[in-house]
Amino acid sequence: MLINNEFNEQKIQSPLHYIWSIFLKNNFAVFAMWVGIGLILISLFADVIVLYSPFLQDPEHLLSAPYWIEGGTTEHLFGTDDLGRDTLARLIKGFQFTFGGALVITCAITFVGAIIGSTAALTRGLKASILHHLLDALLTIPTLLIAFILIVLFDPSYQNALIAVSLSLLPQFIRGIYNAIDSQLNKQYVVALQLDGATNIRLLRFGIYPNILEPIVTLVNRIFTMAILEIATLGFLGFGTQSPDIELGKLIADSIDLSYLSPWLIILPGLLIFIIIMVVNIFTEGLRHAIIQGED
Amino acid sequence: MLNYLFRRLNLLLITALILSIIAFIISLWSNQARPAQDVNVFILYADYMGNLLQGQWGISLINQKSHMLNGLIAFSSTLELCLVALLTSIIIGIPLGIFSGIYRNGLLDYAIMSIALIGLALPAFWLAIMLIMLPITFDMGLPVDGNISPIYDIPMITSFQLIDSLLASDLYNLAAFTDRLTHLILPSVVLSFFLTSEIIRLTRYSISQVMKSNYIKAANTKGLTVIQIVFRHVLKNALPPIIPQLRLQLNTIISIAMTVEIVFDAQGSGVWLLTSIKGGDYLALSAAVIIISGFILLSSIVIDILQMFISPTTRKMLYADK
Repeated sequence: MLINNEFNEQKIQSPLHYIWSIFLKNNFAVFAMWVGIGLILISLFADVIVLYSPFLQDPEHLLSAPYWIEGGTTEHLFGTDDLGRDTLARLIKGFQFTFGGALVITCAITFVGAIIGSTAALTRGLKASILHHLLDALLTIPTLLIAFILIVLFDPSYQNALIAVSLSLLPQFIRGIYNAIDSQLNKQYVVALQLDGATNIRLLRFGIYPNILEPIVTLVNRIFTMAILEIATLGFLGFGTQSPDIELGKLIADSIDLSYLSPWLIILPGLLIFIIIMVVNIFTEGLRHAIIQGED
Repeated sequence: MLNYLFRRLNLLLITALILSIIAFIISLWSNQARPAQDVNVFILYADYMGNLLQGQWGISLINQKSHMLNGLIAFSSTLELCLVALLTSIIIGIPLGIFSGIYRNGLLDYAIMSIALIGLALPAFWLAIMLIMLPITFDMGLPVDGNISPIYDIPMITSFQLIDSLLASDLYNLAAFTDRLTHLILPSVVLSFFLTSEIIRLTRYSISQVMKSNYIKAANTKGLTVIQIVFRHVLKNALPPIIPQLRLQLNTIISIAMTVEIVFDAQGSGVWLLTSIKGGDYLALSAAVIIISGFILLSSIVIDILQMFISPTTRKMLYADK
């Protein structure tokens, strides 16, 4: 048999390409990725998508059920609240605040935390020690207490809630990334790079970060999940978004008195939070599997 | 050993100093109405610390009791909730985590991990509202608010109401105890959702790390059954690393417990802080920092030291792998 092997060159993929190709084989995770991209697009273009203004009151349909329940209309797909405001529009608008805020917080924490964590892991002595004790002290204050303190010192607002949530999540991220880097520092290839005279930045870029992708993905996922839950919790307690603005937790708090008249007003925002977290977790779980398989 | 104890003590002192400074700043801010420009901040701090150590934490504007007393009573209620939830989630979570860690990537593993994911993804306050609706919808007769029915007047001895109601059994013949227990069911179910998923996740990770190691392969070739391997080798190596991981989650757990208490209107630290803030009684916040953060700090150091006594691998990490 004649087989032409002349041009059949063996392509060696870069590790990231290889991981990505493994990831694409996982149908669940790819589906979750597209849903996640859809969610990001919805949160970016929320004002364009909504059919009604979330503040428009429709006196003809007060407290109408979702359209699949008896008594619902197709005009308002997910029903209306006690002032006749469209639930779907309010859900999308509230989703924008919760999801967008969590996204912003996660990006900021990842950026700042990576810098501080790497610095703490690579420096020794007094500087690292001070940082550690400060972080330990911050780690002992529960999130809700930090939020209470910030809200008493300043006023309750969406921005302050975001700051409170990021202040409580930042030490966890720094601690996680510090542990991940610290576990790599004794490895042979890092020592070899150090003996080559690599600067710290080069050491991080080529020696450490490619090997701690999996802990980073897990950490970022965790930060995002906790950020969504905590923003919603603060909104629910009335310390987050203030009145004209809507946010998923606040939507639940606003309609808690109507829980027996129209439970959908409470069930739907909670389900939306649930769906967001599920989608993000399935996506990152797929990514983690791909990274672990790619490293083997 | 002594060296390690000293290092922990050092950590305790410095962290306590930072926490006391935070509490001092809050109390300073809440006293802003009385300007004290000519007094040195350090002297004020020394005064504050002196009062703190003598137990004079200020008087509450709401019920005219000491902040320390209010805070301790409220926090012990929170702690009771956390402990009950922790117990149930350990009983449920650890076996599930062991199963999914041993049969990693199997069908059972996927099923258990889906349950864990659902437990993490449901927001606690929403779940609490859903569960409040439950007893009325299905006519179950579970109480949904408060710590204990107001008909029982229990003398406070330990401030843990579960123990107090048991001690008062000569008054109410265990009726108070069962009443307190039924009041705890729904809040601890909500808290257990989060805790169980967390424990399953940690156990699974730790078990699957151990299952990869060489001595498990050796045990397999020796012809041991799975059950023998698990009880002889896996559990001893896999369970101790979970404890420090769970310790790092303490503040999240307490934070969720406070939220759940607010929804269920149980008289815990969540409700205490909320009413204090709404009533403008901001000194409660600094008392809360001292009590809650102090508790987390102390318990994490105690856990660290216990961990060192329990697990030889930690001692090895501390002394041999320098």
